[in-house]
Amino acid sequence: MAAVAQGTSLKSYLLTRLVLVVPMVLILLTFVFLLMRVAPGDPISAALGGHNVPQSVIDQIKHRLGFDKPLWQQYVEYLGNIFRGNFGTTITDQRPVSDIILTNGAATLELTFFAMIVALVVGVFVGLLAGRFRDTSVDVGGRMFGIVIYAMPVFFIGLMAQLLFGSVLGWLPTSGRASPITQATLQTHTNLFVIDSIYDRNWGALKDVMLHLILPAVTLGLVTAGVFIRLIRVNVIRTMKDDYIEAARARGIRERDVVYRHAFKNALVPVITVIGLSLALLLGGAVVTETTFNWPGIGHELVLYLENRDYSAVQGIVVVFGLVVVFVSLVIDFVNAFIDPRIRY
Amino acid sequence: MTKNRFSWRAAMVVAVLGLVAAAVVAASAWARGGHAQASTLVDGTTDSVTNLDPANEYDYGSATLDLLMFQGLYGYPHGAKLEPVLATKCAPKGNNATWACTLRRNVKFADGTPFTSADVKWTFDRVIKIKGDQGIYALLSNLKSTSVNGTYGVTFHLKTAQSTWPFILATSAGYIVPKSLYPADKIRDNSQSQVGTGPYQLVKYTPGQQAVFKANSNYWGPKPKTDNLIINYYSKSSTMKLALQRGEIDMAFRDFTPTELLSLGKASGIKVHAGNGVVIRYMVFNPTRAPTNNIAVRKAIAYLMPRQTIATRVYHGFVKPLYSMVPAGLPGHVDSFATMYGRTPSVAKARAVLKKAGVTTPVAIDIWWTPSHYGDASADEYAEIQRALNGSGLFKVTLKSAEWAQYSAQPGKRYNAFQLGWFPDYVDGEDYIVPFYQPDNFMANGYSSKTMNRLIKAEYAARTTPARLAVIKAAQAQAAREVPIIPYWQGKMIAVSRNNVKGIDSTLDAAFLMRFWLISK
Repeated sequence: MAAVAQGTSLKSYLLTRLVLVVPMVLILLTFVFLLMRVAPGDPISAALGGHNVPQSVIDQIKHRLGFDKPLWQQYVEYLGNIFRGNFGTTITDQRPVSDIILTNGAATLELTFFAMIVALVVGVFVGLLAGRFRDTSVDVGGRMFGIVIYAMPVFFIGLMAQLLFGSVLGWLPTSGRASPITQATLQTHTNLFVIDSIYDRNWGALKDVMLHLILPAVTLGLVTAGVFIRLIRVNVIRTMKDDYIEAARARGIRERDVVYRHAFKNALVPVITVIGLSLALLLGGAVVTETTFNWPGIGHELVLYLENRDYSAVQGIVVVFGLVVVFVSLVIDFVNAFIDPRIRY
Repeated sequence: MTKNRFSWRAAMVVAVLGLVAAAVVAASAWARGGHAQASTLVDGTTDSVTNLDPANEYDYGSATLDLLMFQGLYGYPHGAKLEPVLATKCAPKGNNATWACTLRRNVKFADGTPFTSADVKWTFDRVIKIKGDQGIYALLSNLKSTSVNGTYGVTFHLKTAQSTWPFILATSAGYIVPKSLYPADKIRDNSQSQVGTGPYQLVKYTPGQQAVFKANSNYWGPKPKTDNLIINYYSKSSTMKLALQRGEIDMAFRDFTPTELLSLGKASGIKVHAGNGVVIRYMVFNPTRAPTNNIAVRKAIAYLMPRQTIATRVYHGFVKPLYSMVPAGLPGHVDSFATMYGRTPSVAKARAVLKKAGVTTPVAIDIWWTPSHYGDASADEYAEIQRALNGSGLFKVTLKSAEWAQYSAQPGKRYNAFQLGWFPDYVDGEDYIVPFYQPDNFMANGYSSKTMNRLIKAEYAARTTPARLAVIKAAQAQAAREVPIIPYWQGKMIAVSRNNVKGIDSTLDAAFLMRFWLISK
């Protein structure tokens, strides 16, 4: 109560969080801009691929792209363009960055959505069981599983899954969002293949798209599940020691009801916060997962453009990544502030 | 109390069972189908595409797509021999500085527009006017103007005599686009339709993912052997290998690692096809800075270059040792480095040349290579070179590497000895000599030679093919004498397919063009 009395109002809190987004985004934009310029390498020469091109041509391209201007001037123009919603055009293949964000971003969205489902199902299930049956073989197994999948590099899990389910067993496709012919014939309305195939009632395509989702979504989801398992287990154990659980037991409520209807539900509240934090982990993991599975998401593109020091593309993509994380964090903070009065002031 | 009877346990069990059931059903369904269809050929590649408009297309991945849609006045429709395509003939007038071409009649673009001399003039004028970022226009730097002579006649007026002009007409700088569709002063971007006179028409293009083609119904030549073609893009060759083995793609052209090729060669249902290639790999020296400014040092390295070891141990025979900048198989090729330094490494000769020049051994030298442009085998390639040089006791080599974006910017200005590779703009010895040995070459290694400059001028001005080839041979000998560059391997053109794919071998030749219209299954 004392904490509540000394704190600010909910409205002020939300407003402060909202205002803080501006410097946060500005810092992000500045860092991305500077890091790209500090990194060794020349995007123009890289894009030309070692052709027999005279220096005058390279100078002409630099001039056209504004790379011959002073750094501060490039920075001001960059900020101006970003705030106008103009992310520019890639240097290597003259593609609008907004097109990458829309097309490839949709692929990443689809992957992370299904990966989050896998993470939640596996993480919550194993975490609850491990917490409920503390210090039993179920707990040890759950903890081991959580640690192993969290510690294993995403690409390693991905490669093993590709070899086992794709190559050895031959059950699942190992790359892409759909088989080449499905992708060639699928009408894209939203660039979310699952939605597009449902929209067109193309059930064959839906089956194909879902099959292609399994390995990358499970790979990415498992890594995130490792975080959930440990968190939920700890919360369950802590909740089981709370006074209201003792009180419930004292009132003679069946142990099963105490555990499943009181302890578990309360143990899951912190997961909301972790979902938000996991998004950054998920997006980071998506970069590796997409490369491993040739999943044409925004992370996959980021790696390719980064190799070529394509300033425009990398800046645009990283800014979008950053904005997504900032936005989700903001939403999570708002939700937490509403549902848990202890953390908002 | 009854309204809250939501069972987490039940929900969890149902969810897990649901996921498992979906996975099993889906997996078994996949096992029953989902493979490529017979009427459609699916190719996989790790190449990337930059620009589709020929006026700004200057990389192999984009060129492979353009080859299907566009044609030049000349080309390589049947093999490595240059032939007229949209022209019936081109002939020089006087001193090779004026070339008059007669165009093929009854040719239409894919959109049904008739092909005429106006389109040819439009094409060349716009390439020069646009000056695209990729630099393809530099190939037309010798073109002064283009004029039309009626509907089916075109004359090219060059700044200086150039006997290899028909070769330039075969490059993508000379791919003809319809005047009615392509703007005079800007690139038609990748999201817009691309229209040419070639055997295929692009119907869908998703950057970095897929290019979908169908046969061009207005094509003037023989119908492609497969109506529909899909080119699927992969960022990693290992993923492409799995897709090929699973039958998700029918074939793959460019690029597997040597180890993957070896493995695929042993896989059942898969065939590795290899033909002549014109890709080369070489080491460049800066002849103006120590220690590589000493010709004895460069010659000693030439004596020690372990070509055969690289070809067999690193590339498992998928490349051949190369003893000249001009690859074997091209007219005018001579094994000038084999003549001068032998076919196998010689420590004794290397020691002798250094001793004669009074060079103290071991010579400390940094050799640079890049892990991100010339394939995964580059590391092993340079480890072999280091082993050979250090093993001689004459050198103390330190290998250094940099990512391509850092490495590629005028490497000759920063590195004394470094790795590069070359894929020709046009398949002629000239394109393996002039870009490397002319003053202010693109490598920026500081090489300059009056003798070589004289030979380059003579090559340009040669009026007959035998005279030109004689100059190219002399230039190769001069290059071996001065050693600003050591060529060491020549790649083969390799494609991998499933056993049911036919016709691949007919397109594997020194022109290094994947003519998909000859392939079927």
